[in-house]
Amino acid sequence: MPSKVDDLSSVEQTDWTGHVSWRDRAASAVILRHEVVTTATLAGVATLAAVLRLWRLDAVGYNSDEVVYAGQAAAITGVDDLAPYFPVFRAHPLLFQAVLSLFYRFDTADVVGRAVSAGFGVATVLLVFLLGRSLYDRRVGLVAALLMAVMPYHVVVSRQVLLDGPTTFFSTLTIYLLGRFGMSQRPVWLYAAGGAMGLTLLSKETSVLLIGSAYAFLALTGDLRLRLRDGIASLGIAVGMFAIYPLTPVLAGAPKTGNAYLVWQLFRRPNHGWSFYFTEVPVAIGIGVVAVALLGVWVLRSRRTWRETLLYSTIVVPIVFFELWPVKGFQYLLPIAPPLAVLAARTIVQAPAVRGWGTKTAVVLTTLVAVPTALASWDAIQPPQGSTFLAGTGGVPGGREAGRWIARNTPGGSQMITIGPSMANIVEYYGLRQANGLAVSPNPLHRNPAYDPVPNPDLEVRSNNVQYLVWDAYSAGRSPFFERKLLSYVDRYNGRAVHTETTSVRTSDGQLATEPVIVVYQVHP
Amino acid sequence: MRRPAFVILLAALAFGVPQSAAAEKHAAQTPVEHLVVLMQENHTFDNYFGLYPGADGIPAGVCMPVDPTKGEKPCVTPFHIGTRDVEPTDPDHSQSTFERQYRGGRLDGFVHALNLRNQDGRIAMGYYDERDLQFYWNLARQYVLYDRFFSSAQGGSTVNHVFWVAGKAPPTGDRVSRTGLEVETIFDRLQQAGVSWKFYVQNYDPTLTYRTISAAPPNRASQVTWVPLLGIDRFLDDPRLNGHIVDLGEYYKDLENGTLPAVAYIAPSGPSEHPPSSIQSGQTFVRTLVNSLMQSTSWSSSAFLVAYDDWGGWYDHVKPPQVDKWGYGFRVPAFVVSPYARHGVVDHTVLDFTSILRFVEDNWRIRPLAQRDANANSIASAFDFTAPPRDAVMIPARSPAASKDATSSPRTGPIYVTYAVGLACLVALLGWAAIDRTRRRRAGAAGR
Repeated sequence: MPSKVDDLSSVEQTDWTGHVSWRDRAASAVILRHEVVTTATLAGVATLAAVLRLWRLDAVGYNSDEVVYAGQAAAITGVDDLAPYFPVFRAHPLLFQAVLSLFYRFDTADVVGRAVSAGFGVATVLLVFLLGRSLYDRRVGLVAALLMAVMPYHVVVSRQVLLDGPTTFFSTLTIYLLGRFGMSQRPVWLYAAGGAMGLTLLSKETSVLLIGSAYAFLALTGDLRLRLRDGIASLGIAVGMFAIYPLTPVLAGAPKTGNAYLVWQLFRRPNHGWSFYFTEVPVAIGIGVVAVALLGVWVLRSRRTWRETLLYSTIVVPIVFFELWPVKGFQYLLPIAPPLAVLAARTIVQAPAVRGWGTKTAVVLTTLVAVPTALASWDAIQPPQGSTFLAGTGGVPGGREAGRWIARNTPGGSQMITIGPSMANIVEYYGLRQANGLAVSPNPLHRNPAYDPVPNPDLEVRSNNVQYLVWDAYSAGRSPFFERKLLSYVDRYNGRAVHTETTSVRTSDGQLATEPVIVVYQVHP
Repeated sequence: MRRPAFVILLAALAFGVPQSAAAEKHAAQTPVEHLVVLMQENHTFDNYFGLYPGADGIPAGVCMPVDPTKGEKPCVTPFHIGTRDVEPTDPDHSQSTFERQYRGGRLDGFVHALNLRNQDGRIAMGYYDERDLQFYWNLARQYVLYDRFFSSAQGGSTVNHVFWVAGKAPPTGDRVSRTGLEVETIFDRLQQAGVSWKFYVQNYDPTLTYRTISAAPPNRASQVTWVPLLGIDRFLDDPRLNGHIVDLGEYYKDLENGTLPAVAYIAPSGPSEHPPSSIQSGQTFVRTLVNSLMQSTSWSSSAFLVAYDDWGGWYDHVKPPQVDKWGYGFRVPAFVVSPYARHGVVDHTVLDFTSILRFVEDNWRIRPLAQRDANANSIASAFDFTAPPRDAVMIPARSPAASKDATSSPRTGPIYVTYAVGLACLVALLGWAAIDRTRRRRAGAAGR
């Protein structure tokens, strides 16, 4: 529902002579003042978003997923050291990695990769403002941008070199362009939305369900004039752009690489239970944000238009899909964060007006929701303490340091075995040594095709093909069986701890204690 | 029984040679502060490296007569072991077989000599190549391979091992003496000079010496042959000397603790590559030893040499120089791994086991033991001490062609082009939408 100021701003107020009247000058002054206030506020929100996304960005090294994408980007750049461990075509499309590789031409430091990701995060916050403003008004846009800026879910993910940050940026752009189509009814916006959707798919192929969201939106919205050919053309643009994904390896001379990954991803064993998203994501988004968004669905139900249908579609379809899809990842639902923030902002701005509670109530509500969410984000971006780790929630304490120790202190060409493939990735990225996870199944149906199994680890150590075993607390917690297996080889093959990384953990009585998180063992037959 | 070296040693200890002065006098003269020597078993250069590029390997067109006394035909051409119906065996390598194969320098009796021993003489012409010896060939590509390294004596293990430690043959020739060996060794000299040394023995059994060899199981008796010190009374009875003969496990501990001695000899047990045992297990053994050295702090000041004690009955095409009544014997494989070793070089210097002694004597300022080592070339020709030490890089067990890293990298240009096209498409569509919006606004304004 456009506000009064937005109405004023959208019409040129001139008389028949073309002169601007005094009333119009006053209106223009109001518009200008609002624009200044909006711009200043948005700048503040963007600054807050940037601070939360950049604060101590490099305190902890990459996690397993980050090293894969950073490794791919480095391989595109031509960093020869990493190319043997991180082939360019490994999994997922390469839009983000290609962008990242441009920055890697200057420096491949961890902070560069994460800063690029954070840049997408801040840009997403600005897009959320545009989305809120275009669908409702500038106040909704500002509040939505604020909620997005401080949302732990988005803050945490966009501080990492993950595909989900850029994916969310482009999916938000798609939603924005679909909204422009809804407002203007001009097919060119639908085509542009198709283009943005194509780039969303090129960021991460699982965002293909954005097509489902768009379809649900268009199908459930009766008051939009949509010609079938425009819909098909938009879809064609999206699909045509997505064709870059399979086309690129062919043009690059590696047509058979990376194809098996999607198949494996579709049929791999579930890694989390059905309740995973319900327990993890609302807390990460902020209970207040979720509660206010849901409250608005009820309180403002009488004001439902195609705008809400658009937002609901882009939230519900991913939730339903990923809930049904056995494979779950913490960051998979990140694209629902922007529409959720807009819905929450709409409730905060419009619900008090509907109830006649006044503007102050909106300010209080904004404060009540945003401050705890921001505090949760602040807490989430502090270097983690503890020896447990949820994939996608941040870096791995000690991983970078252990890897660099390996690079400095073990002979080139040394080979390592880790408990799982995640630590193997980290060892390969920072340590530049080949590492394989014990937990990688020898059965090709049960493993990520990017990983090599160790069919007979005992023989590998006995034959001195492997000279180091790397234990880590994070993998040990997830795979106690393979931890025991690894330690049995340590015992059997004269294992000697040559390096230990520790982290501070808070004990049950609240005291800080030092605990080993990564131990490098040298072994020989 | 008089033991001059032992007496000299005791005298030196009794009168108290100033330790620091001795240490200074006998400090390493090169950056090689640790020399480790492993003696494997029974192969010729042509048998292991006959097809190695750049080395003096098997000549083209060679065909070994089955009976050289009856002419050149029929004959046996060199073949890759496993490609013919020839059973792997332990070719006879006694001194008489050497003489029959050597045939007064004609080198045409390799097949016939084994046939006379009731063996399938064709086996002598078998060879291994990179398919079988990937690790050794990889080592040679990175470090130094000697292709003129001869066994010291025209005999088997016993005499050559004694040359290895003493620079001369034992009075008993090529058999273990039942009454003990009286010979001064390089270890006596090192002990006198205060230079640290150890003799590492795989699966070491201290009770197994020349005194007990008759009661030893046949598969363990080789310990006495391969560790000549176990045939010398003073090395058995004097704890100050005997304490230097230790199990191979101490090699790893010394590497871990940074206590690797200046001179270390290693005698294998099972993985000696003595035919017909597995050459793969030998390579694994050597790889473990070398890798462990690379993993240690001693790497930057070490050299690791691998040699083979005798020709083992196999064919080799190079006539050994005759330097004295004992040798040389046929060429044996030998290579050195060190941060100071030249990169991927085939060294043609004429060497034998006493060349190792010569290097020890030169490097730690030790007097020569005998005429042979005094006149020998040093293995030092493999080193380049003007270059900084090379970082340790583990040698892959598989050849480069077989390794995963050999896969070609894709072209990255198309990645930028295709994804840039995608971004450009979006920009174009957004531009189109913006133009459309502007036009509509203008049209709306004009309509009013």
